[in-house]
Amino acid sequence: MSKESSRATYYNRLRLLSLTMAFCLLLLVPILNKYLHISFIQGWFQSLSIGHLWFVSPLEGMESILTSKKLYGPLLIGMAWPVLLASLLGRVYCSWICPISFLSDILDRCLGLFTRKRFRRQHSPLPKKTLWYALLGEIILTLVIGTPIFVFLSPPGLVGREIMMITLFHTVAIEGLIVIAVVLLHLVSQRFFCRYLCPLGALLGIIGAKRRLAISTDMGKCIECGTCKKVCPLGLDPIKQECFSAYCWNCGKCVDSCKVSALMFKWRDISLPEYPGGQTNQTTPHPNT
Amino acid sequence: MRLAAASLGTIATCWLAPKPSPAKSWISSPVHTNILRPPGAVPEEIFPARCIRCGRCVEVCPYQAIVPLDIRKGVFAGTPLIDVKKIPCYLCMKCVEVCPTGTLSRIPQAETRMGLAVIDKHACVTWNQELALCRTCYNVCPFKEKAIKLDQLRPVVIEEYCTGCGICTHGCPITRKDGEKAINIEPIYAFKPVRW
Repeated sequence: MSKESSRATYYNRLRLLSLTMAFCLLLLVPILNKYLHISFIQGWFQSLSIGHLWFVSPLEGMESILTSKKLYGPLLIGMAWPVLLASLLGRVYCSWICPISFLSDILDRCLGLFTRKRFRRQHSPLPKKTLWYALLGEIILTLVIGTPIFVFLSPPGLVGREIMMITLFHTVAIEGLIVIAVVLLHLVSQRFFCRYLCPLGALLGIIGAKRRLAISTDMGKCIECGTCKKVCPLGLDPIKQECFSAYCWNCGKCVDSCKVSALMFKWRDISLPEYPGGQTNQTTPHPNT
Repeated sequence: MRLAAASLGTIATCWLAPKPSPAKSWISSPVHTNILRPPGAVPEEIFPARCIRCGRCVEVCPYQAIVPLDIRKGVFAGTPLIDVKKIPCYLCMKCVEVCPTGTLSRIPQAETRMGLAVIDKHACVTWNQELALCRTCYNVCPFKEKAIKLDQLRPVVIEEYCTGCGICTHGCPITRKDGEKAINIEPIYAFKPVRW
């Protein structure tokens, strides 16, 4: 960020704070439950309860409904909150809450202490569309097998599960190796799992395809320096209006990096045609392609 | 340090422990004698499909009786189980209230049917020996005089009231040669057919 920037933004710091708080919650909840028998806050990001307010991850709930063919009121209500959040703010769960994001970011910061090459892993080995195929493949496999087994293996849930296993039973389960594999993969290719394979991220992306909050580019101010593309953890290019696509997870890294404040979060009304990414615009790829 | 050693030990045992038939344990239900689902569980046919493996029942159990399965159990990975020989269910009914999917349906304590206690009259000292007067199962039963009664000082299980909590199995002092007790919980309700 340069000095001339009129409105310096600190979304990165805010986001790191949010990620840290979410991770601390994961650490704290099993301790409260085991040692103090406080079950007011309970669970992790697969299903979290704060008092009588329940949250259920939409992918998990959807697969449970699909495989068991049973509807259950509390499940639907619990799924409604994340769906509402995603439809308004987009994939913010991925960038602001998810423990895998926290681990990746912390790893990046730790490595940043030793090396200056910050953008070293910015390449795209696969087309972006892989994300949708990952979700589709996961749902089909779940229906073939008949159990929501892949939600059990989804890394964000696994982090919470492993923390619980360590706190409650003083042991780790072998599926925790998946978390290690995902974080190591991040070192090889930036956010490889989040970009191409995470079915939960894909589902939230589809839900948030017509989100209200999005990053908009002021092309009048933009000097096309390309910094925003370099910092984007998903390899999107805000200059090409890719921040309106279903892939963008509203992390705000590009907003922070912009030297001329050409990028900002904007509350958009998608019914208006003049907004890029609105219903009439071609730049938003349809999520089901 | 100790934690690291323990975790390494777990990983090591996962790979080194002899497995009888891993492929079979991937698709056949882990529920059998004395290995039960938590209270209010839907039948085993639908259980792995409905459970989202969120682990909240595991976390809320104050006795840590509920244990999640790991990846080696295939499609049953992540589902909760109670090994009543280690820690029985004390029927506090906390788990049924936190289940977000209705896999553990909300039922009152007395309507829990995790299984049925079955006395092995050949192994039970009170049944097969004239002199011994053990009645531990009768004493520890939370539904004493309803679920377990004494018939001429020998324990008898009343099927109508037995919740299958396994406290009797946990308390039984007799261990058979195959590792089971003289009173065992048979999960007879877990394999009911489901109407889809």
